[in-house]
Amino acid sequence: MDMEVSRSWRDPELWVKALPSVVLQTTCFLAPLVMTFILTFQKTQNFQLNWTWSLATWTDVFTKPHYWTILGHTLFMAVACVVVCIIIAFPIAYGLATRFKRLDNEIKVLITFAFITDATLKTFGWVLFLDKKGAANYLLAHLGFPAETVAFLFTDWATLLGMVYNLLPFAIFTIYLSIDNIDRSLILAAYDAGASKFRAFWEVTLPLSRPGIWAGSVLIFLLGVGVFLEPKVLGGGKSPMSAELIRQTFETRVNWPLGAALTLVLMVVAIFVVLLFSRVAGMRRAGA
Amino acid sequence: MTAAPILSITDVHKSYGTYPALKGVSLDVRQGEFIALVGPSGCGKTTLLKQVAGFEDTTSGTIRIEGEDMAGVPAALRPTSMVFQKLALFPHMTVAQNIGFPLKLRKVAPNVIATRVDDMIRLMELKPEYLKRYPKALSGGEQQRVALARSMISSPKLLLLDEPLSALDVKLKKVLQAELKRLHRSVGVTFVHVTHDLEEAMMLADRICVMRAGKILQLGEPADIYYRPADPFVAGFIGETNLMPITVTACSGAQVSYGSDEIVDAQGSLPASLVAGDVGQGPALMNVRPELIRRCDKDADVDCKLPATVTEVFTKGGTVQYRARSTQGLELAIEIQGTSHLPMQLGEDVWLGWAKKDIWVLKPGEA
Repeated sequence: MDMEVSRSWRDPELWVKALPSVVLQTTCFLAPLVMTFILTFQKTQNFQLNWTWSLATWTDVFTKPHYWTILGHTLFMAVACVVVCIIIAFPIAYGLATRFKRLDNEIKVLITFAFITDATLKTFGWVLFLDKKGAANYLLAHLGFPAETVAFLFTDWATLLGMVYNLLPFAIFTIYLSIDNIDRSLILAAYDAGASKFRAFWEVTLPLSRPGIWAGSVLIFLLGVGVFLEPKVLGGGKSPMSAELIRQTFETRVNWPLGAALTLVLMVVAIFVVLLFSRVAGMRRAGA
Repeated sequence: MTAAPILSITDVHKSYGTYPALKGVSLDVRQGEFIALVGPSGCGKTTLLKQVAGFEDTTSGTIRIEGEDMAGVPAALRPTSMVFQKLALFPHMTVAQNIGFPLKLRKVAPNVIATRVDDMIRLMELKPEYLKRYPKALSGGEQQRVALARSMISSPKLLLLDEPLSALDVKLKKVLQAELKRLHRSVGVTFVHVTHDLEEAMMLADRICVMRAGKILQLGEPADIYYRPADPFVAGFIGETNLMPITVTACSGAQVSYGSDEIVDAQGSLPASLVAGDVGQGPALMNVRPELIRRCDKDADVDCKLPATVTEVFTKGGTVQYRARSTQGLELAIEIQGTSHLPMQLGEDVWLGWAKKDIWVLKPGEA
């Protein structure tokens, strides 16, 4: 550590070692970002990009409430998805890490499978299941429920269901890892100090799994802000979210400057929300 | 025994699946005693401690603390406190919160907790400014003191120490060993200390309990265990020793006659007080500690002696250790007070002798 700190920026060795990373970051991340930024100050005419400087796009963005409504809806859905995912994932991860310790490897393989299964496939699967004439209603009708009991396909609820379903493994995995990392003797020490099972959980396990909850929340929030499959397939495209709006702006309306501007707005707002929350979480830890 | 034991373990068995970790252990610990459980890894010493702490259920047998049967009593409700091998300080709590945690769980008022925490850090000689720090910011020795303070704050009847010093470097270990001894004397709590460090056990404990393969081999005061081990395993486990084969030719009530081809002037007899109880006629082992063997002249007036050649010299600072091989191939270890010049040279032919009173005769067995 000390050696790292004492290293100077003027050290030529540092530059040589950092070069591959610097080149990669610049060409694949920084350059596209700068291009996107420049793009927002250009004009379009007859669906053609016109390389003349203009503030028209930004004026448009800041004057039309429609964009902001969609952004607000997107943030709301993402936060709702985070909350639901954490509530569902925590007990699952806790159970996996404590009760099913013997199946540790199998569980990790299964979670990995959940990651590599295609989300599109799973999302369309839900459509078949939730459809008016789908599997769910068919089963429920046979159990004596009225026809079409499940009738929330093509609503925000279906979108949320799809998002939670597709993003849940991230929360399970991060929380599982953080609970798994807790030294068993810490729990024993809590019992030894006189804690009940619940108290040991509340005072030791829960606070120590906070990094996992936090990491899972950030991941799911950022991925949730960017979903377009679920609102389109399960939400029926009736209340689009930001990613879908951006796609339409680029592809259907062929307004690249506007698409670029909306992209930047989404990015900035998402980063701002994460920073805000990490500030709050950081303050709570410092104050605890 | 006059007073009732504070901890009474009776015929405790513990199996993990089909593996028997404890095979019938019985042990009484007296109030205020410092007892050390020693043995090689896997001997069941930590398992025994866990049974006493209440982290695991015993398979059979009873554990009583102050006469009360602990069966079914969870760890949280036992009057015991454990100091863990890895200390198990809560990383998300400050030092003050760690130490005060047991009292917080007992719903003690915050200002009372603060006073008690202050008492504890004074007792453990920790600096008051550490209270606001997190355990990670403390050195290994300081963390050790915090762990001890946390264990002591709830005034347990029994302090259980699960090799808490094993991860420390030698110098720090010495300091904390002295600290433990001081703490034990000043608070009068009964200590049960698990360790694989024999020197540590000898230094600290009032009584040592040597375990092997789930059983207690010997329980006794350090000098007892050291000079009068119950069997060759204990003899070899508790420090270095010399076990020389002899033959017991006759046992009468007060005397044991023995012989050895090796040892000159060995056709003697020993009082029964120098012989382990179960030795009968036939092959036996003569146990003599390395520091009790001295170099002597060929015709010196010592009880036992044999000729040997020095094969190895280890200078240990305060003492010098030698290895020597007798004419008939017996390997001997000798430890002599260090001086500026070596009393024996490598390859030198010497006579080694010892007094009869320093002999302890054992039945041969698994070493």
